[in-house]
Amino acid sequence: MPRILLIGSPNSGKSLLFNRLTGLSQKVANFPGITVDVGVGRLQALPDMELVDFPGTYSLQAISAEERVAVAEFERALADPEVVQVLCVIDATRLEKSLYFTLQVIRECERVGKPVSVLANMIDVLDAHKLTFEVESLAAALHTAVLPVSARSGKGVPALIDHLRTVEGQSQAAPRQHLVETPDEILRGNAHQLAHRYGPRGDVLVRSQTRLDSFFLHSVTGGVAFFAIMYLLFQSIFTWSAPVMDGVEYLLRLIADALVPLIGNDTLRDFTSDAVFGGLGAFLVFVPQIFVLTFIIGLLEDSGYMARAALICHKPLRLFGLTGKSFIPMLSGVACAIPAIYAARAIDSPRKRLLTYMAIPLMPCSARLPVYTLLIAAFIPAGTALGGLVGWQGLAMFGIYFFGMSCGLLVTGVVSRLSKDHFTDLPFVLELPPYRMPGLLPLLRNAMNRSRHFVTKAGKIIFAVTVVVWILGYFPNYGADLEVSWLGMLGHAMEPLFAPLGLDWRYGVAILTSFLAREVFVGTLGTIFGIEGAEENMVPLVSQIQASGISMGSGLALLVFFAIALQCVSTLAILSKESESNALALKMFAGYFLFAYAAALAVYQLALVFT
Amino acid sequence: MNPTLWSLRAGDQCDIVGYDDALAEPYRIRLMEFGFHPGESVTCLQSPAFGAPKVYRVSNTIFSLDDEVASHVRVRLVGDNA
Repeated sequence: MPRILLIGSPNSGKSLLFNRLTGLSQKVANFPGITVDVGVGRLQALPDMELVDFPGTYSLQAISAEERVAVAEFERALADPEVVQVLCVIDATRLEKSLYFTLQVIRECERVGKPVSVLANMIDVLDAHKLTFEVESLAAALHTAVLPVSARSGKGVPALIDHLRTVEGQSQAAPRQHLVETPDEILRGNAHQLAHRYGPRGDVLVRSQTRLDSFFLHSVTGGVAFFAIMYLLFQSIFTWSAPVMDGVEYLLRLIADALVPLIGNDTLRDFTSDAVFGGLGAFLVFVPQIFVLTFIIGLLEDSGYMARAALICHKPLRLFGLTGKSFIPMLSGVACAIPAIYAARAIDSPRKRLLTYMAIPLMPCSARLPVYTLLIAAFIPAGTALGGLVGWQGLAMFGIYFFGMSCGLLVTGVVSRLSKDHFTDLPFVLELPPYRMPGLLPLLRNAMNRSRHFVTKAGKIIFAVTVVVWILGYFPNYGADLEVSWLGMLGHAMEPLFAPLGLDWRYGVAILTSFLAREVFVGTLGTIFGIEGAEENMVPLVSQIQASGISMGSGLALLVFFAIALQCVSTLAILSKESESNALALKMFAGYFLFAYAAALAVYQLALVFT
Repeated sequence: MNPTLWSLRAGDQCDIVGYDDALAEPYRIRLMEFGFHPGESVTCLQSPAFGAPKVYRVSNTIFSLDDEVASHVRVRLVGDNA
């Protein structure tokens, strides 16, 4: 099938154009051997032609590992005989930014004999401000067709389709070779001259952007706006998603209640109830959160605010080897690590994205909350100090949240200093895109795609682990007694590992099952202590734990262990998929387990000294 | 010694003179790709508090640079503050 390559610099409106031409029907495909997403879709108007959307890049002279992969993939695609046309998208409102890259693309196409056309996007913005640029003169200077289009309004798209139809029907004429021997330095100079000669006159666009920036980047108003927007983001993950998450849980329970009693075989019934519906519930419940967070982050990105937020947070996070763009994933991690890991895609520096991945699991996620609530209720006195102003339990909750966040920054700070490598990293040179009104459909589409990716990719791993843990907990006594199950035996066998923390096999088993999801720790302890519905009402379980002879030191050690350990299969699954590295997920799991164990041991031993 | 992009205050205008040798080659290339050529006119639009990255206008595009990069770009002040 004839293929058309779509390439352009970031913020040129390329993705919107891709969606308009393919009717939002693209699939995100991982091409073999590459680590970047390439969109592929059939042209709606010419269904016999395929459009391939490459990630936005500023230059064909790559300076980071990820850019090198993207550029190499573009060059490989150029050699594909099925590629009949290259479309280079430029931002017509800012030719200066786009033309050097365009000249590089034209040069590469001339080298391999592929026809190239330039799509000058965003002419709707020029029209709105009564600005123009010299299309014919620019086309003559570039020796290629220049087609003014608006991905947003659709203006110019019929002419583009007509242009592509002629490409489809004609044998390929080799393009002129006026740039083949031109070095990059000359191209840069040419781009500069062309932009000044043929670009839109006037700075009305920049002036309106500057007015908004003087509010959003102001030391006072910018700070207030930042905290207000982050508060809304946090609310969206925690509060707005909650009813839908509850709805998903309720729906699954409804289906399970209707279906499970129909199964005659006891083991199959238990498996369907606990492993299938329990396992499905454990990860499907995150889908609304992922959808909402992806939607809001898309909104912030498309409106142009995300770049401003990154700027505001950059300086403090840089101290810990991170970037301003790490802030939103880390904040999201306080609700749930899974959407947070997805949010880290916005970080263009691979090194800083990796460091952000490392910080996210240490953010005190909502799944830790039931564990903290139980342990604090069991081990921290309910008294107050300073005339009732400070409650010990509240202080402990604040302390453990602060501890988790500090550990995240400590880890990234240490790792970044130990592995400092400037040559694989990108400098902080951030383009501040113009403020724009985001389109609803692309945002919804993106949120749907991300949610589907989570269900199809991470779901398989999560379900497999759920089944394994269920089998270990169910056999050989068919679920009669957890202590004599294989999981119980494993807990007993691992008792020497947890004994230095003052914990017996029961806590070992609860820690093992919390690998499914941290909050399962509470339910497992409830099962072991023979208390139904411990997740909803913790009071009887708290009393049982207090009566079980476990010391305050062990309780504090457990708190510290849960603040650090990465025993969440959903997080590991999505980490492995997003980083495309199983090794990274396994190393982080092992590393954080050792870190958690060592810190818990230190806390327990310290408590022994002081009590 | 010329001042640097990082030393500009909001509203200052300058022409780029060149780059320090300490600025890594890939960074220098990327800056030039963004339009920060020697001889190009740059305006500092925002100089936020607490050492946050500053905001610069080059042609019709706005960029933010932190001190790790901006302190290696030599400039010559023009206009009222020259």
